[in-house]
Amino acid sequence: MLTAIVTQTGDQVQVRLVSSETTDTTMPEAVLMSASAEAGSTPKTDAEVKTPPNPVNPAINEMLWAAGSFFVLFALMRYFLFPRLKKGTEARYASIRSNSEGAVQVKADAKTDVAEYEKALDAARAEAAGRVDAARQTVDNQRTAQLAQVNARIAAARAEADQKNAAARAAAQGDVAAAVATVATRVAELALGKAPDASVVNAAVASTMEGSRS
Amino acid sequence: MIALKFPEINEILVWKELFPSFNKISLIAVLAVLISSALFFMAGRKSDVNEAPKGSRNLAEVIVDFIEDGVIMQTMGKEGLRWTPFLLTLFLFIYLCNVPGIIPLFQMPATARMAVPMFLALLIWVVFNATGIKHQGVGGYFKSVLFPPGVPKALYILVTPIELISTMLVRPFSLAVRLFANMLAGHILLVTFALLSEALFQANDKILIPVGILPFIMLVFLTSFEVLVAFLQAYIFAMLAAVYIGGAAHPEH
Repeated sequence: MLTAIVTQTGDQVQVRLVSSETTDTTMPEAVLMSASAEAGSTPKTDAEVKTPPNPVNPAINEMLWAAGSFFVLFALMRYFLFPRLKKGTEARYASIRSNSEGAVQVKADAKTDVAEYEKALDAARAEAAGRVDAARQTVDNQRTAQLAQVNARIAAARAEADQKNAAARAAAQGDVAAAVATVATRVAELALGKAPDASVVNAAVASTMEGSRS
Repeated sequence: MIALKFPEINEILVWKELFPSFNKISLIAVLAVLISSALFFMAGRKSDVNEAPKGSRNLAEVIVDFIEDGVIMQTMGKEGLRWTPFLLTLFLFIYLCNVPGIIPLFQMPATARMAVPMFLALLIWVVFNATGIKHQGVGGYFKSVLFPPGVPKALYILVTPIELISTMLVRPFSLAVRLFANMLAGHILLVTFALLSEALFQANDKILIPVGILPFIMLVFLTSFEVLVAFLQAYIFAMLAAVYIGGAAHPEH
């Protein structure tokens, strides 16, 4: 059995003939359901076909609810919520500003302390440098004095040694001259048969030794 | 063969009334008020001034900073800061009416129905005209609107009707239609790809079922895109409102 289904969309009217045993799955469910439901009832007139309102037309109830909601939110925001939030924010900003100013003061104090410390450090360094210079000067003086003393002692010892050396050399030369004179006298005595004059031998030996030294 | 039933556009936008005159759009509008109020109420609770803001206070302050620095200072200057509560309310209300378009169970932006954008556009129209009249007087305001300075007098024949239509008609119309059309288009796209995915996944066909992944990927992409659109439309509306109000208050700027 065929059933006529009349649907209206805006100004367009559609008529479908649907079999109650249809297996056409492309048929919209709503159409099939309405077809089976309407199969036993009388067809509706155009006025009875309910078309949903045009979505572009603003619904008055939605507009009123939107307006009411918006104005409530605006009133809350204007007189309660925003000032409360802003108050908290301002308090935090004030606290941050205060802490920041405190930090600046602490930083300035710290800079002053550092400057004083550096000044004291410079003074201590200068004093230490002065003391080191003075100590160095003292040590230099002491070293110079001690060197002078040591050099004097060395010079005295050297002079004494030179004297002893000269005396020892003179003694050795005398001993050598005496030995040479003795040998020369004995040689001359053996050669000549008589002992030569001792003064002549000594003068000859002295003259010879002088000549060999020069 | 797949059975794809695409509902008529007015079927996906008309909602049953939860009680007389109160439908899903009204519910979203009321929820927007409740959520905004709850957020700012929690944000406004006393907290240690020496601690960095966190949680709801942090979020609320970020939103306020965004409105003050990103909208008001860019369009109205420092004098416009007294408009912060109004523009903050406007931005939050629009954003929270947009976002339900991608929230499961809601899945409908309140601004995809003409009522909400039209109310907001009319409100802005009233506000910027009232601001202009308050600051410049009736004569001064309409003179600045209809006879812009610096234009040769002969051109007023052309410029004056254009300015009249532009300021008095086109501004509220474009505000309303921009928000409405963007959100409606996004909503219809989501419905389309959701229905297509469902139909392909449920088809008794070995080829069509894997093909269903394509509209599903598109659906996921568009859902994330709608997150951006929801924010962007709220921002644009608030920004234009600030521009219109600032221009009415100080036409020389």
